[in-house]
Amino acid sequence: MKKLSAMSKVYLLFVFAILYAPIFYLIFYSFNSGGNMNNFESFTLEHYAAVFEDSRLIIILLNTVLVALLSGLIATIIGTLGAIGIVSLKDKKMRNTLLSLNNVLIVSPDVVIGASFLILFTMIGVKLGFASVLVSHVAFSVPIVVLMVLPKLFEMNTSLIDAARDLGATKRDVLTRVILPYISPGIFAGFFMALTYSLDDFAVTFFVTGNGFSTLSVEIYSMARAGISLTINAISGLVFAVTVLIVIGYYFINKRSKSVATGGQR
Amino acid sequence: MRELVQATAAIVIVCALLFFTVDRMQSAGSAGSKDTLTVYNWGEYIDPELIDKFEDETGIKVTYETFDSNEAMLTKVQQGGSAYDIAVPSEYTIESMKEDDLLIPIDHGLVPNLKNINADFMDLPFDPGNEYSIPYFWGTVGVVYNPNLIEDHLTFETWEDLWDPSLKRKVFLVDGSREVVGMGLNSIGESLNVKDEDLLREATDHLIELSPNIKAIIGDEITPLMINNEASVALTFSGQAADMMWENEELEFAVPQEGSNLWFDNMVIPKTSQNIEGAHKFINFMLDPENAAQNADYVGYSTPNEAAWELMDEEVINDERFYPSHDQRETLEVYENLGLEWLGKYNEYFLEFKMSLR
Repeated sequence: MKKLSAMSKVYLLFVFAILYAPIFYLIFYSFNSGGNMNNFESFTLEHYAAVFEDSRLIIILLNTVLVALLSGLIATIIGTLGAIGIVSLKDKKMRNTLLSLNNVLIVSPDVVIGASFLILFTMIGVKLGFASVLVSHVAFSVPIVVLMVLPKLFEMNTSLIDAARDLGATKRDVLTRVILPYISPGIFAGFFMALTYSLDDFAVTFFVTGNGFSTLSVEIYSMARAGISLTINAISGLVFAVTVLIVIGYYFINKRSKSVATGGQR
Repeated sequence: MRELVQATAAIVIVCALLFFTVDRMQSAGSAGSKDTLTVYNWGEYIDPELIDKFEDETGIKVTYETFDSNEAMLTKVQQGGSAYDIAVPSEYTIESMKEDDLLIPIDHGLVPNLKNINADFMDLPFDPGNEYSIPYFWGTVGVVYNPNLIEDHLTFETWEDLWDPSLKRKVFLVDGSREVVGMGLNSIGESLNVKDEDLLREATDHLIELSPNIKAIIGDEITPLMINNEASVALTFSGQAADMMWENEELEFAVPQEGSNLWFDNMVIPKTSQNIEGAHKFINFMLDPENAAQNADYVGYSTPNEAAWELMDEEVINDERFYPSHDQRETLEVYENLGLEWLGKYNEYFLEFKMSLR
């Protein structure tokens, strides 16, 4: 890749500064002893202490992460298999129909999805709570995973599969030793997309929470009526830290699988 | 493939750990009793210590959930997927919940602390005889202003001050048709519950004369703007005003004398309740003078609990901006349920006023 010119570097820096400024501003004030975001008085950790003292908030935070990880995992499995299924369809018309249906789910408004889930769960008598939130998060994540995995599948040369078959690989071998390793970057990307979607979803989650189960986005939204307190800043800071850790983890996994892949070619 | 398997295993292990931790934390809170109570309230609308105290006193485990608007709460209660034992809607929502048969009548015999509520806040038009609802917090609609940013003679004792030419492009209004059209009606000396086209027309025309002074019609965003001295005058709820004044001591709040709105958030027992007896216990607990005082102290809104007033800071109770005198309360009106047809008309006039803004 060509080296960036000085101008482009300045521009890039500028863009990132704008993107990150609000988050850092928020986190900066989470250490403010003044109790508001007007002026910084002195450094304190009391808002973080308040988060950890409030066991309800901690449970909600853990629940949020739990739902995100679990729904991401399930959606990734379903989505990957779905993508493989779509690609292996011989009938072109059928394949395009399925792809369009997948895209419709991505663009349909969250409020509609949330409301329809609420109606569905009420109709079939599912109690609102952990299960209903998990199911709906899986549902809106699957199409995203499919979309992330598909390009990798299209990119894959079909003669790879033919070659494997000629060499005596069973169907299972082809899947686990040829297809899955090849598309694994897409799978990881899909998983992390699903994770972020689940973490920041408010609209769908709002409708399907109940019986004491809640996630952070819903909780923060209802806290805002009595004015934003710095406790919210502190939680946001924590969530940001967790997200950064996840991204770093993703980076290392990605780097390792890349070096394995290129190492294999050489 | 190995990476995929490893990653999956790692996620599953982390999930199991999280699940275990949450489970432990949840059971640590309960006293081993299966008796639970689900409370559905506005965010930041209760002192969390009171929930602990209630759990200790009664052995009932409280599941506490929050909502951010009456409409959101109503949707969840109507769908019935969750067993709410207590909800805290505002007066007009109570009226429509009553009509839709979503509430369970309250047995006054189980709520002896009801005697602590000031008589002015009982037996109001939205729930005669308090058959279905018990007052939780109340407040008014008024004008919050920053005396340093406007001319001295404006104190908003009268609504007419909002029309003062010196306030050009300085006034913020809360985005609600009942609040704004009601303010228009109050400013021409009428009730904010009128069902009369001519009076509504007159009020709207008067409001349109206000449009040069309007800077914006917005919601909760007013709070930070007022706190940071970026806005000088706003029509808003007393509770929101109290928040602003807590952060910015320059601000003042006034309820004009011609009259204004008196609003209520009341405790009700929705039809979804699985623990009606516990719900009564909770209501009675919240009406205890000591608990009500502690809660009002924490939340900052005005409590209707007369016995609690004696336990609270005198400065707060004697602050007529938030605890108006009996005489002034006489001028305040509670919103009546106008019915769909008239509510639609209020919305139309409000829209007409909004479109007149340039």
